[in-house]
Amino acid sequence: MQKVLRKRILRDLKKNAPRYIAIGFLIVLSMYLVVSMLGAAETIIRGSEAADEKACVEDGEFSLFVPMKKSEWNRLKDKGVTLEKMFYLDYTDKDEKVIRLFKNRENIDKITIKDGRLAENDTEAVIERRYAEVNHINVGDKVEIGGREFTVSGIGTVPDYDCTLKGIGDTGCDSKNFGLAFVTEDTYESMKAEGKNSKSEEYYYAYILNDSMTDEELKDELKNLEFSADDVDDEFFRDYWDRTIGAKDDLENGIHELLDGSKELKDGLKELTDNNAGMKLGARTVLESYISEANESLSSYGFETLTTDNFEDVLKNHIDNESNAIMKLTLQNLLSDLKELKTYADGVREYTDGVKTAEEGAGELYDGIDELKTETDDIIDEIFNADAGNLLSFVKAGDNPRIQAASGDQELYRSVGVIAGCIILVLISYVLSVFVVHSIDEEGAVIGALYALGVRKKDLMNHYIMLPTVVATISGIVGTLIGYSSLGVRVQMQDCYSYYSLPELDVMIMPYLIVYGVIVPPVICYIVTRLVINKRLSRPVLTLIRNEQKAGRSKNVKLKDMKFMKLFRLRQIIRESRTAFTVVFGMFVSMLIGIMAVEIYVYCAHVRSQYPEDTKYEYMYTYKYPTENVPKGGYEAYAKTMKKSIYGYSFDVTVMGITDDNPFFDVDLEDTAESVTISSSISYKFGLKVGDVLTLKDEENNRLYAFEIKAITQYSPSFMVFMPYDRALELFGEQDDFYNVVFSDHELDIEKGRLYSTTTKADVEKAAGIFSDQMRGMIVTLGGVSAVIFAIVLYLMMKVMIDRSSFSIALIKIFGYRNKELKRMYLDGNFYVVMLGAVISVPLSKLIMDLAYEPAFTPNVACGVDKSFPAWFYIGIFAIVVVLYFIINHLLVGRIKKMTPVEVLKNRE
Amino acid sequence: MYVQVSDVKKSYGEGGSYIQVLKGVTVGIEKGSMCVIQGTSGSGKSTLLNCIGGLDIVDSGSIQVDGREMVGLKPDELSDYRRDYLGFIFQFYNLVPNLTVRENIQVCEYLTDNPLDIDELLDVLGLVEHQNKFPSQLSGGQQQRCAIARALIKNPKLLLCDEPTGALDSKTSRDILVLLEKVNAQYGTTMVIVTHNNAIKDMVDQVIILKDGLIKKDYKNEVKIPAAELEDL
Repeated sequence: MQKVLRKRILRDLKKNAPRYIAIGFLIVLSMYLVVSMLGAAETIIRGSEAADEKACVEDGEFSLFVPMKKSEWNRLKDKGVTLEKMFYLDYTDKDEKVIRLFKNRENIDKITIKDGRLAENDTEAVIERRYAEVNHINVGDKVEIGGREFTVSGIGTVPDYDCTLKGIGDTGCDSKNFGLAFVTEDTYESMKAEGKNSKSEEYYYAYILNDSMTDEELKDELKNLEFSADDVDDEFFRDYWDRTIGAKDDLENGIHELLDGSKELKDGLKELTDNNAGMKLGARTVLESYISEANESLSSYGFETLTTDNFEDVLKNHIDNESNAIMKLTLQNLLSDLKELKTYADGVREYTDGVKTAEEGAGELYDGIDELKTETDDIIDEIFNADAGNLLSFVKAGDNPRIQAASGDQELYRSVGVIAGCIILVLISYVLSVFVVHSIDEEGAVIGALYALGVRKKDLMNHYIMLPTVVATISGIVGTLIGYSSLGVRVQMQDCYSYYSLPELDVMIMPYLIVYGVIVPPVICYIVTRLVINKRLSRPVLTLIRNEQKAGRSKNVKLKDMKFMKLFRLRQIIRESRTAFTVVFGMFVSMLIGIMAVEIYVYCAHVRSQYPEDTKYEYMYTYKYPTENVPKGGYEAYAKTMKKSIYGYSFDVTVMGITDDNPFFDVDLEDTAESVTISSSISYKFGLKVGDVLTLKDEENNRLYAFEIKAITQYSPSFMVFMPYDRALELFGEQDDFYNVVFSDHELDIEKGRLYSTTTKADVEKAAGIFSDQMRGMIVTLGGVSAVIFAIVLYLMMKVMIDRSSFSIALIKIFGYRNKELKRMYLDGNFYVVMLGAVISVPLSKLIMDLAYEPAFTPNVACGVDKSFPAWFYIGIFAIVVVLYFIINHLLVGRIKKMTPVEVLKNRE
Repeated sequence: MYVQVSDVKKSYGEGGSYIQVLKGVTVGIEKGSMCVIQGTSGSGKSTLLNCIGGLDIVDSGSIQVDGREMVGLKPDELSDYRRDYLGFIFQFYNLVPNLTVRENIQVCEYLTDNPLDIDELLDVLGLVEHQNKFPSQLSGGQQQRCAIARALIKNPKLLLCDEPTGALDSKTSRDILVLLEKVNAQYGTTMVIVTHNNAIKDMVDQVIILKDGLIKKDYKNEVKIPAAELEDL
């Protein structure tokens, strides 16, 4: 029997060609959309990951003030870390284009050659792909770098410059004016020796940890590298050093000198003290020897023995009683000498006692100064909370905006592809189910008759499943093939490829996409039709034969007196309310994809327009080495970068301390650091409002901060939290006059070497445009395909409505109604249904997309903008629906017109 | 009796819309006979036919066909019953629109291991020249002949006809009845025909007249008038 029924299939296909073509086209387009978008995203994400792995992409990189010593290098190497020097020299040509010169890489971030080969001698250079493309440089061409002419030996890419940002803090890459070149090691050294570079050499190192330690552990190791500021060539560093960290050295050195001096004093006094006994003994010995000698001379005169204690009294007594003038004089001289000697001995004793006391005091002084040194060291460390080591910067690969940048953007493609894929599956399932139900209803009497003749349900089920399944299979295959053809994945990749410096990536055939494109449509079709058919074919045979439809209560609704035409139209809508619901639901699901496309467009358009609008300053200078005084015409600010996580991604949030007179931000500052004003971008991204508490993490110091949101100000280019400048300095323990950001409405005369980055309004504008440009391909594809899908679904749904009414229309025709009246009675009602569908679908789809957008599409995008549609968008969407309705209506009315009443009535009971 | 209906009751609806269509019908039909069920609209004749055909389920009572009780059969068993025993002819043909006459017949040919010869059947039913036409290209009589052929191809033991001439003009109706008579004679098929047409009762073996869900009359014709000679069709 199946053999006979199979003959029907082609005829069925032919008879309902518009329907099946529409369904087939719907599936082809859907599969094309999903496969091309996801295929492109997967190719770029996985392909660049694989390419990076092949090129031994770094785990991270760091820069030093002065090159690492051999011993330090070896120490890290012994610990298992692979290092490679990524030193570079920047050369600026006469057109202000900057070429960054590297030597060939050996172990890390190796060059992937697209055309040609690596540089092998001192006249050859490899040029980075994007710069070469934009500047029309090919292998064999000559390029001038630093006054030397090089032959381009190859065009290539490196994984650490996937996004060729000149500065790591830059907002976007400009391949027209910045590119990379790679030469041999000898050439690099000789170029360096020539000294024609526009900036001093940067000492960057790339590392691969090899699981030997963590990034943080390596960073700790690097903080301890030996460093002498005297070895640093950078004049701005020197200046800053002398004013800040260098002052710390002076203070430390002064305390060291004081300590050393006190120690010397202590030691000297100790040495003196050590001589005290000798001195005292000597003085006493002289006195006693003199007394002894006097006793020997005077003993013959009967003098009693002189001692140190009595010599004065004895001699005075003898002098007073002596009549002999010579003797008297002699005794007087003796007394005088002995008194002097005694005074000397007493003096020596007093001196030694003093020295002893001084020595003890010096010891206490030394201990005190030592204690002072310890305390001041702690205080200095606290006050100069800056890393005064050799480490200048440390960036993990995951935090490096140059690495895997394309993949980040493609995450949006992937998310959109997955969501679109799911919606499309629902849509296809729904459309198929509607048509299967319609077919079964159309053939209910025939099916009933066949049942009555003994045909089994399963025989009919297989028959009814076959055609839609075959159509779904073929369409799925075709859609997948087109998706993977040069019209699909390659087209979707183009925007990404023309911005990022990616190596040639082979289109990746993802098994899950093949399953999705080739297997899922027929399987879904099979399951859906089986479920639907099973229910329909399980109806009682008589119900089928009589083609009885379930009569809902709503169909018996009583209507008040009204004009016939209006009443009829209303009755028709009520009678076909189930079909109307079908149309509305079909419109809603297809509208979801359309609104998704519009939402992404609006998101990108708002980024493009709001970023420049919200950027009131012309220049934002971020300092590496700020000058002592704020440049004239600039508004100082203090920026502290913190982290906030959402949807599993961590984002930089800048706490910006600004002065009251800063004209570039519309913020009412309160004199507190606890209540802050947040940028609108934070509000949109993190769903925060006034009165909420914003928590941020200072990852460097592993500290959490909580702020109460006092106000939200319109600012979209980055996530910013505003507070008073002095409060910010106080909160983060900075000195009173410290600043690291300066805003200005005109260019300031600041030496470039002092800056990390300069962000101009033009940069912001350009970066905003880049985002839109990157999404353009997807928006166009999604928008175009969704519009076609919507049109197809609307066509199919309206066709169902009209098909269901065709018998009734034919009857009315027989009664003598004219086509114009028929249109009013039957088709104008459809207009209201379609309008109702639009009224329900558009806001509901918008609401769903608003809720899903951030977590589903842009969880990894550091951006928060208003996603509301302008009013004219809604009007435009409604206008499109109306236009589509009339086009489709026209097509279907034409079909009805051709239908004769007899033909319609022929096979109906 | 080939078909034995005993005290069959059947009702529809509930509450205010409750209606008992069959109120205890008992009737027997002999093998190979032609039987007509007549009655006014709402008398229950089509309901009785549907119950015999297993298209409708009785509330109570018994229906035996060829000695096999079919009340209480499961849906699959009912399918098998219809497949093995029954042929059905409807007032509105219910042909598969996009299959030709021959293919419509073939749909049921595959339901049995011992089908009748399709070419012979086409010949008997006068459809040879129309066998490759689609239903929409046929007249009502031709479509009904096709429906008869479709019902007969599997050589059913019991042919149930629900107003087989209801949608046809007099001449075509006669042709169809002649055909049914011929099939009955040639294949020995037991036939139960539900009809409004009073003239048909004269060509059959047994006449059952229903009124308000009960058997009003059940009698056998002593003399049958060939369909070709029927008047007032």
